[in-house]
Amino acid sequence: MRSDDAVARTFREEWGRLVAGMIGWCGDWDLAEECAAEAFAQALPAWERSGVPDSPLAWLTTVARNRARDRMRRRTTEGAKLALAAADDIVTGSIVADVSETDDDIPDERLRLIFTCCHPALPMPARVALTLRTLGGLTPAEIGRAFLVTEPTMEKRLVRARAKIKHAGIPYRVPPPEIWSERVEGVLGVLYLMFNEGYAASSGDSLLRVDVSAEAIRLTRALVGLVPGEPEVRGLLALMLLTDARRPARVRGGSVVPLAEQDRSLWDIDRVTEGARLLEGSPPWGPYAVQARIALCHDVAARPEDTDWAAIAELYTHLPVTPVIELNRAVAVSMARGPQDALPLVEALAEPLADYYLYAATLADLYARLGRTAEAAAALATAVEQAPTGPERRLLRERRERLLNGS
Amino acid sequence: MKYMLIHAVDEARLKDLPPQAESELAAWVEEMVGRGIELDGARLHSTAHATTVRTVDGSVHVTDGPFAETKEQIAGYDVIDCPDLDTAIAVASAHPTVHIGAIEVRAFEDGMPRPEVPDTVTAGKRRYLMLVCADMRRAMADAAAVTDASPDLWDPPEPESADDPNGIDAWVDRVSDRRVYGWPLAFPDTAVTVRRVDGRVVTTDGPFAETKEQVAGYDLLECRDLDEALDAAGTHPVAAGGAIEIRPVAD
Repeated sequence: MRSDDAVARTFREEWGRLVAGMIGWCGDWDLAEECAAEAFAQALPAWERSGVPDSPLAWLTTVARNRARDRMRRRTTEGAKLALAAADDIVTGSIVADVSETDDDIPDERLRLIFTCCHPALPMPARVALTLRTLGGLTPAEIGRAFLVTEPTMEKRLVRARAKIKHAGIPYRVPPPEIWSERVEGVLGVLYLMFNEGYAASSGDSLLRVDVSAEAIRLTRALVGLVPGEPEVRGLLALMLLTDARRPARVRGGSVVPLAEQDRSLWDIDRVTEGARLLEGSPPWGPYAVQARIALCHDVAARPEDTDWAAIAELYTHLPVTPVIELNRAVAVSMARGPQDALPLVEALAEPLADYYLYAATLADLYARLGRTAEAAAALATAVEQAPTGPERRLLRERRERLLNGS
Repeated sequence: MKYMLIHAVDEARLKDLPPQAESELAAWVEEMVGRGIELDGARLHSTAHATTVRTVDGSVHVTDGPFAETKEQIAGYDVIDCPDLDTAIAVASAHPTVHIGAIEVRAFEDGMPRPEVPDTVTAGKRRYLMLVCADMRRAMADAAAVTDASPDLWDPPEPESADDPNGIDAWVDRVSDRRVYGWPLAFPDTAVTVRRVDGRVVTTDGPFAETKEQVAGYDLLECRDLDEALDAAGTHPVAAGGAIEIRPVAD
């Protein structure tokens, strides 16, 4: 393998682990990241010259630590000297920084890192950005592009987040049992938001956005490896895979293609298989696992009319009751038992969902199926106005035209 | 009487502090400590490093940022002891914060012991200021109801018992390993605020900002990390219905 390919691949696979280990070693986020980046920069010519080392992570860790030591020595403050002494204590106490150690000797501290990146004291956008940067290795420019902000803005967001970790004393640790489940929930919330942002963007008007949902899948997969006993982590990974499986068929000519009209032969069968395997096991299921099962019901239907809507309607009752969940359940009911049974369920949501375009779109669909064309057209007009992105607006406008033309 | 000086500044204006402000501050501290007025005080990290905790139906909600989004934010505090409010106003007016912001002067509730705060932080710990915030208009209305209501119209609640597991005493016991001291403040309608207007220091009645929730008291904590402070805040009785803002104390 060519050494620049090897460096690129190692970067994808080991960046998060290298940074996590460095933060655990020196306690300084900025220093850890800078030195990790320098170690990769140094790897390129070094591996070119003498070949790819057997233990790339151990090699990188040694180089990054040496860099960090140099920098800490150059700092003159007492605080920095203390930090250096403390860091070296850790090194001599547990692992010896020597190129002869192997990757397996280096503890995997990514779990500490992800809990700290997703700490509830940080603003949500900062949690997402920090996770993508420190665990995923995306540059501030790439993350900025994904979230439609400039590189300096994203850089500032990351600097502020690191400053808060330092000054507010956010711990670098795996949370103790009494707060474990709420913090895991928080981490999953960040990863799911990341996935959805990326998924929505992949159909948006901008093609420049990097693939944040692929990154979310990669990070969630890593998390499954780190905490294999957490069913909701597997549930979330399954949900992402089973949703992402439909991505190749989701957009055509700049428009979002509704599920029923998608070319199902384009769906990614490997993702469906992997997602289904993750869901093996019996209830009780958490919200992510239930949503994944709903996605699976769609994914395994060869044709739209083969969808098991009764099962889907039943699965929705296992989710916490919110207006949006109720709306989705009503759609399933309409498919399983007919629009007349679903209409009262939808109409009951008029107040909480007054500003939600999919409420108006769903109402329009039920009216149309009940032959109430004028009401359907009015609801679609509202939905067009409320739709958040160009492709969705186009889709709704087309639907309204078709309805009014009687086709 | 003991008062809290709540320093409130527009954080964007901190850079407008005149160069002599640091030496003015040192002189103010020296004078007030010498006169036996200044008992404790500290600068806080900016609201960018603030975290707010509320409990809803028993579950703890942690959000980033301060308890209220006001233009001026709390940047520091002093606890002073002086004979009367006029002295407290004079002490506040001489503080360099008035160059760029306001100082709210608020009395503590009676009976506050003298705070004993070591000069240095315990090794391995950090200091956090816990601002206990509540809807004070409601609290004042409740308090007025207790005084005004005739017994047959209003059935007063049982007075809080010292061994109430959800009461403040139980909380103080629970966090004794990390709480340095703390005390409730008098209602905000007793507050006055000093600020500089057209080169003169003027005093107005009321708190520095008219927010629904107001600071109702505070506790100084020493914790290993933010999670330990969040744990203390999440179990504070006022976190239900109110808000607890956690601010790291600047070195």
